[in-house]
Order: sequence, then structure tokens, then C-alpha cells
Amino acid sequence: MKQLVTLRINDTDEEIYVEPWWTLSYVLREELNLTGTKEGCNGGHCGACTVLIDGKAVMSCLYLAMKAQGKEILTIEGLKGHNGPLHPLQEAFIEHFAVQCGYCTPGLIMTAKAMLDENPNPTEEEVREGLNGNVCRCTGYTKIVEAILSVAEKQKL
Amino acid sequence: MTPLSVVGKSVLRRDARAKVLGREEFCIDRKLPGMLHAKVLGSPYPHATILAIDTSAAEKLPGVRCVVTEKNAPQKLTGTGTVRDMPLLAKGVARYIGEPVAAVAATTIEAAEEALELIKVEYEELPALFDVETAAGTNPPVIIHPDFSNYRKSTPRERLCPERPNVCAHIKIYKGDVDRGFQESELIVENRFVAPSIQHCALEPHAAVARPETDGGLTLFTGKQGISRVKEDIAAMFGIEAYKIRVKQQYVGGAFGGKATIYELIPALLALKCGRPVKWVMTREEVFVLGGPRQGMVLNIKDGFKKDGALVARKMEVFVDGGAYAEASPGVTQNCSSVAVCMYRVPHLKWDGYAVYTNTPKRRGMRGYGVNEVTFAIESNMDIAAEKLRMDSVELRRKNLLTEGEAMLNGEIIHSNAVAECLDKICQSIKLDEKSPSEGAWRKGKGVALGNKYSSPGSHYGARIAVTDNERVVVYHGADAIGQGVNTVMAQIAAEEFGISPDGVDIVFSDTAITPYFGHGSTSSRTTFNLGNAVRHACAAAKREIFERAGARLEAPPEIMALDNMEVYIPRHPDKKIEVRDLFTSDDAGEIVGTADYKADCIPDDPKTGQLDPALAQQGKRFMAFYAYAAKGVEVAVNTETGEVKVLRCHGAIDLGKAINPKSCEQQSEGGMAMGIGSALYEETLMENGRILNPSFTDYRVPLATQMPLNENMKSILVESAPHKDGPFGAKGFAEGVVTGMEPAIASAVYDAIGVRIKELPITPEKVLMALREK
Repeated sequence: MKQLVTLRINDTDEEIYVEPWWTLSYVLREELNLTGTKEGCNGGHCGACTVLIDGKAVMSCLYLAMKAQGKEILTIEGLKGHNGPLHPLQEAFIEHFAVQCGYCTPGLIMTAKAMLDENPNPTEEEVREGLNGNVCRCTGYTKIVEAILSVAEKQKL
Repeated sequence: MTPLSVVGKSVLRRDARAKVLGREEFCIDRKLPGMLHAKVLGSPYPHATILAIDTSAAEKLPGVRCVVTEKNAPQKLTGTGTVRDMPLLAKGVARYIGEPVAAVAATTIEAAEEALELIKVEYEELPALFDVETAAGTNPPVIIHPDFSNYRKSTPRERLCPERPNVCAHIKIYKGDVDRGFQESELIVENRFVAPSIQHCALEPHAAVARPETDGGLTLFTGKQGISRVKEDIAAMFGIEAYKIRVKQQYVGGAFGGKATIYELIPALLALKCGRPVKWVMTREEVFVLGGPRQGMVLNIKDGFKKDGALVARKMEVFVDGGAYAEASPGVTQNCSSVAVCMYRVPHLKWDGYAVYTNTPKRRGMRGYGVNEVTFAIESNMDIAAEKLRMDSVELRRKNLLTEGEAMLNGEIIHSNAVAECLDKICQSIKLDEKSPSEGAWRKGKGVALGNKYSSPGSHYGARIAVTDNERVVVYHGADAIGQGVNTVMAQIAAEEFGISPDGVDIVFSDTAITPYFGHGSTSSRTTFNLGNAVRHACAAAKREIFERAGARLEAPPEIMALDNMEVYIPRHPDKKIEVRDLFTSDDAGEIVGTADYKADCIPDDPKTGQLDPALAQQGKRFMAFYAYAAKGVEVAVNTETGEVKVLRCHGAIDLGKAINPKSCEQQSEGGMAMGIGSALYEETLMENGRILNPSFTDYRVPLATQMPLNENMKSILVESAPHKDGPFGAKGFAEGVVTGMEPAIASAVYDAIGVRIKELPITPEKVLMALREK
């Protein structure tokens, strides 16, 4: 049976009725129209649905919406504040040509944010290791890795 | 020639901002008022007679609005290739596991899924065929399409093969006398290669939303390759006038050939039956089955050489597993022969390609359209031959390469071919002669291979340019924005023509009600070449209209005018000028429009021999629009204890004529090489008795970031020394050529490292260890 829950998404409380088996990605996309979070496999294998929960990268297609109560959920839509500038990762993905079809992009950016928050100064190998939960079929990852490393480099300054 | 100001610059991609913000609306994100959700019931058997279908329980389920089977569907057969062999929903017989038998539209996805379980289908299993060579025989145990001779098809009679009942096309390319050629040869090298079916794995699953319109027509929101074609397919299937069908899309989340398959007929049927919009998003598992994977080929190759390395004769017999319906397989079987035709000088050639029905999922085409598989066989065989001839394999290739102005093996005259330069650059950059030392169990090796990818002329491709009263240049086009960056490149081309910044160009795209016809869609590496030409010509037409209008004001003939930064001026009279925005007064017409349609200057071949008319070929008539050549160089490390292969370095040179946007070209190249690493080492659609065993990203291994070389070891070399005379600014398409050659280069590097040659892809640890043991 549906239950009323409050989900804190992108600094806003959303009250919503959810079935106990609904995943967070389903609720984000189908109930709240936050379609920036993508679904590529619904099995936790492609990373397109990655969001941050309490700062950690999570595959939202495997995460039950009910479980997210009381936690801070950050999606791609909340990464840049209203009218604010782009997040440095968003800037870097544009500047470094890290975007092709763009379907994996939101998930990759969220994964990269969690990665850099935890380890602001990663090696290339660490960046690649950190991206292993995200599939990109277009780019071969070269320019994505370059974009992420450039943000880490700038943060050092 | 005036220097280019925008073309050739790495202008930032105009689609990137919306994509990094998560604001781009892909088809899968689309919602419409009153929209229902579709689910499809597939056959559990690879070959079975359907005795009865009972949908009554499913229809009664709350939320279900409509259940369809072949009984509610038009009785016509469809097919997106040369043979119309495929019912909308299985009719009387199911020919592969997963073949759609029934479909449901319901108010929720959950109700639609539940309804599928309530549909009762009675089957009687039939014997089935899975092996492509058995199926291709003259006396196969099963005939998959007993009615084949009655199907509508555009295949020429000479390419049918009634003596092989499961062959839907037999492609022959014959030149000289191959038997004589082998008699004259001093070394014969004969091998069998296998390339499996692999998957496109575009991250956005196939999706479509069909909305019935009040006039009996249909609007289809989709995410595919070829909106003009799907419009025609829907009109033909449902008998609706084409003008009442509108197909729209925005950005597509990857395609790679898989989204040229037709899947929109099911939601269209449901929408027309329910009178409500219906959305169908394939599950990932469905994409593996219904998404039109790559064919899978068995390739027998026999090459004859002189002692000095000159190729004398080549015989190839290629069996192409097309699955249960023809779709693109006859086309793949034909077009992949281009590899045997356009690269090496061979006096005697006999190519027999068979597109074969089996009881496995129907195939579409995948990036390369068969070329990668054929290249794997040819390039590997060249390496094997070089060793037997005691020749350097690069020298052997150089010696036999066709060059500009020579006739290809189908008589076509070579134009725009920088393959030799690609080869030289790759040998230098990968340092082919320097061998890296082994580290423990890891042995290192290097390999080089050539490749090429044709672009088929297909159909014709349009563009329209509007210049507005606020001096915006608007490009209307019907190509597919599948991630390749078409809108950025077309904005650059239009900006170049008008002498403005690309920021002054707007793009309206992919809507059959608004944008011009775009033939076969963004497939066959054709968009930059065909649409680029159409945009250039349409810009010229719009400029003529501007000069006409300006001529009336400036009292000067249009021929002497020029345009710069939206100002018309007369070079010989600098004081005579007028701004474009002033050409929209009440005396003038409204919007300034220029239109153009481009079709490559190509001719068909002779279906009996694959040869072009020699007189026409001599005049420069071509079979394909262009060919992009390529060379790949890799360094691998092979673990002799585990059999694991790692690609350490990967360099690709691509003969693209002109890089309109070099960074975008690098993107394609890097992604293409990654795809080649995947198909060389990891990827295979595993099938057992017609069932796909690995339809998920855990079991089907797409390359991940750690499986790619480090950034300093990835290199793309864009070769611009052979511009194409008909290409926009000399450009050719190259989005497939960047993959081609990866498999043989990696196989060659593995051989260099450990002395074993793998002839069946992918090069898995198991195969490496087995081969090492047998050595």
C-alpha cells in the first residue's frame, strides 16, 4: 500500500505517496518528473541513474524510495543552484568535449562529484577506478577522465 | 580559396549544456496527457507454431486498456531492408525466442506487466536452426521461411538463392578467374575466422511514444536512426496517408546502428486501437533481444600470393547470421564486401556472401555494417601470409595497396584515399619496431591493421535554411542527433557560408512535419557528407535570395554582391551596402529561404558480378558515396598465466578528408577505438538454442574506464591529406572507420606478444590459455 513519505531532494522537501517497492529512480523520474536522472538498465550495472545520498554516489534504480527518508538526496538538477553558475564538473564536461549522446552524462557527473568530494586529488588510475560503475558507450572515457582531472587540478589552485 | 573561419575549429558542442544539466529531453523522458504504457509478450520458443492465444483474462485486469495480437494487427508484412518477411506480431508461427506475440497497453507499467502473465498462448514446438552454416546448406533440416518466394522484395533475382532455402541474399563479387589466380600463386593462405553477434549497448534503451491524432493520423515521438523511413513504414503498415504521420525526436541516447531497427509499429498499433498515446520503453533485456544486434559471421578466406608478396587471388565465402528475419542482413552482406574491393589490388577475386535465416533474434546492423568482421579476416590473413612469405607485414600491405586513380576490384576508380599515410603515421606513432620488455607473466606485443568504411549513397538528403528578420540563420534538417554532434557541425558549416559566428545559427531538427526528408537517416557515416552538402547548397540558395532582394535596393545585379557578417556589399563599390535586416520591409517577402537536396553521384553494380559498368566507372561514377580509410596500432600485454589481455596503447589514424570540428572528431575516434577494444576482447552475445544467455551489462561486458588505455596512450590522428572532391570542405564521414581495424590490430599484437593467433572473436582469457597450451 502506498505510504506518505517526505523526501529531501535538492534542498527541497517533497511529500509523496510511494509504494514500498518503488525505487528512487522510479519516483524521481515518474512521480517527480526529475528526468535528469536516467535509467539505462534498471539493474545497477550502468550507472546512468547515479544520485548522491548523504554525499555518497548511489545507483537510484537499486535504492528503495522509502529508504531515502530523512536523507539528503542530490540529483543532477540540484547540482547547480537556481541562477547559479554551472558546477565546475559541468563546465569541465563541456569544455573538454566529455559529452556525446549525453545519456550517461548526469550519472557520470554525480559519480565524479562524490569521487572528488572524497578524494580531491585523485590519480588518473583512481579516477578510472571510480568510474567503473558507469558505462559510457560513446566516448571511450578519455575526455571524461580528462574533464574530471582538470577539475581536481583547478581545485588545488 | 578564402581561409576558413569556423570550419576546422573545435567549436564547443551546442548540445552539451542541456545534457550536463540533465535538462535534455530524451524520448525515454517524454510524457503525454492520457499516456498508457506498453509491454510486449515474447515467444518462449525459438521456433513454434502458435495454436491459440487467449487474451480474455488479461483484458479484464484493472488498468488494462488494450491487448493486441496478430488478429488485431494489419496482415501486411514489413521489413526495413530488401525483404518484407516480418509480421507486426507473430502470425501463426514464432521464429525466435522473444519474438513479439502479443502486446498490452495499460495505465501503469505494473498493470501492463501483470497482464502479460495472464495471456495464454498455446504453442507447438518446431525443430529449430541455430548454426549459420547448417542453415545455409542446400538441404537444411528446417526451412525457416517456407513462403520466402512469395514475399515482396526488392532483391534482384541474381541475388536470390533458391538452392539454399534459408539464404535470403547471395552476394557475388567476381573479378577475373580465381582458379587461374590460385594456379599462378606461389603461396596460398587459407583460414577460417569467426566474429560473433555483438550488441550496440546504446545507453538509452529503445523507446517510442505513439499518439493517435483526431484526423486518423499518428504522431510518433521516438529516439532512432531514420525518422523519414519510420514514417514510411508506419504509413505502409497501417494504410494511413503519409502526410498524416508525423515523426519527431530530439537528442537520442546513442544508437550505433541498433536504432535503425523498426520497433515503433507495436506502440503505434496500440495507440491506434486505444485512441490514447502509448509509450514503449524496452527493458535492457528486451534491447538485447529486439534491438537488432550485430549479425555474427563465419568467414572463410583463401589468398594466393607471389613470392614477392603480390596478391594474385582472393576467395572469400562469408556466412552472415541474420536471425529470423532479413532486416538489414542482405544489405550488410552486400556492403561488407567493400572491404575486399576497395583496399588491396587483387587481379582475381571471388566473393560469395550469404545472408542466412536462423531461429535467433533478428539482426539489424551495427557500426561498421559488417566491415569490421571482414576486416578482421582479411587483415589477420595478411599477417599470417607475411610470416609465411618472410616479409614484414607492413611492407606486404604497402605493396598491395590500391592508390588514387586505380580501379577497385569492382571497377570503381579510387578517389580520396589516404590509407598509406594512415599506415605510415601509425607505424611511427606506435613505434612498431620497438619491442617493450615483458614484466613477469605479462608479455607485451604490438600490432597494426588497416581498415576502411564505405558510406552507401542510400537515398537523398535535404536541408532548408531560413534567414530571419533578426538576422538569425536557421538550419532545418531531418538527420538524427545520436551523439555525433551533427548540430554543432551543421551550425559551423552554415556559419562559414554566411560569414557569421556559429552562435548566430539556430537548428531545428528531426521532425518530419517541419524538417526536410532525410533518406536513410544518420547511418552509414553519412550525415556530415550528405547533410553538410545539403546545408551548403541551401545556404547558397538563401544567399541568392538575399542578393536578389538587395539588388533591387542597391540597383545592382546580384552576381557582383558579397555577404559578410549579415551585410550585403559590392566589393567594387564599398559605399554600396545594406544590412540583411533591412531586407524585410513590406515590399519584400517575409523569411528568406533556401532549400537543397543532396544525393551522391552513384550507380548500382551488376548483381551477377558486383562490377560497375566500366564506361560509367571511367567517367567517375561511384558505387559508394566515399570511403574513409584507417589504420590502427595497439600495444597489448598478455598474461601467460591467466590469459588476460590488456590494451596498453591504442592509436588510430583516420582518413576523414577534413575535420570540420577536430575535437568532436577525436571524440568519435576515441569512442570508436573503445568499441573496437570491446569487440576484440570482451563482447559476444552468448546464445544457447536460440536463447541469449547474457542480456545484461553484468554478463555482457562493455569496456569500462579501467579497461581502456591511460589518456597519454590514446591517440587519434586526423588525416586530412586526401579531401574528397564532393565532400563539404573536403570532408568524409568517418564514425565507423574509427572502429574498423581494431580487432585484427589487437589479434596481431597478441600474436606478437605470445605467438598464438586467435581467429575467433572475442579474444577471451580462455581462448588465449587454450591456444597457449596447444602451441
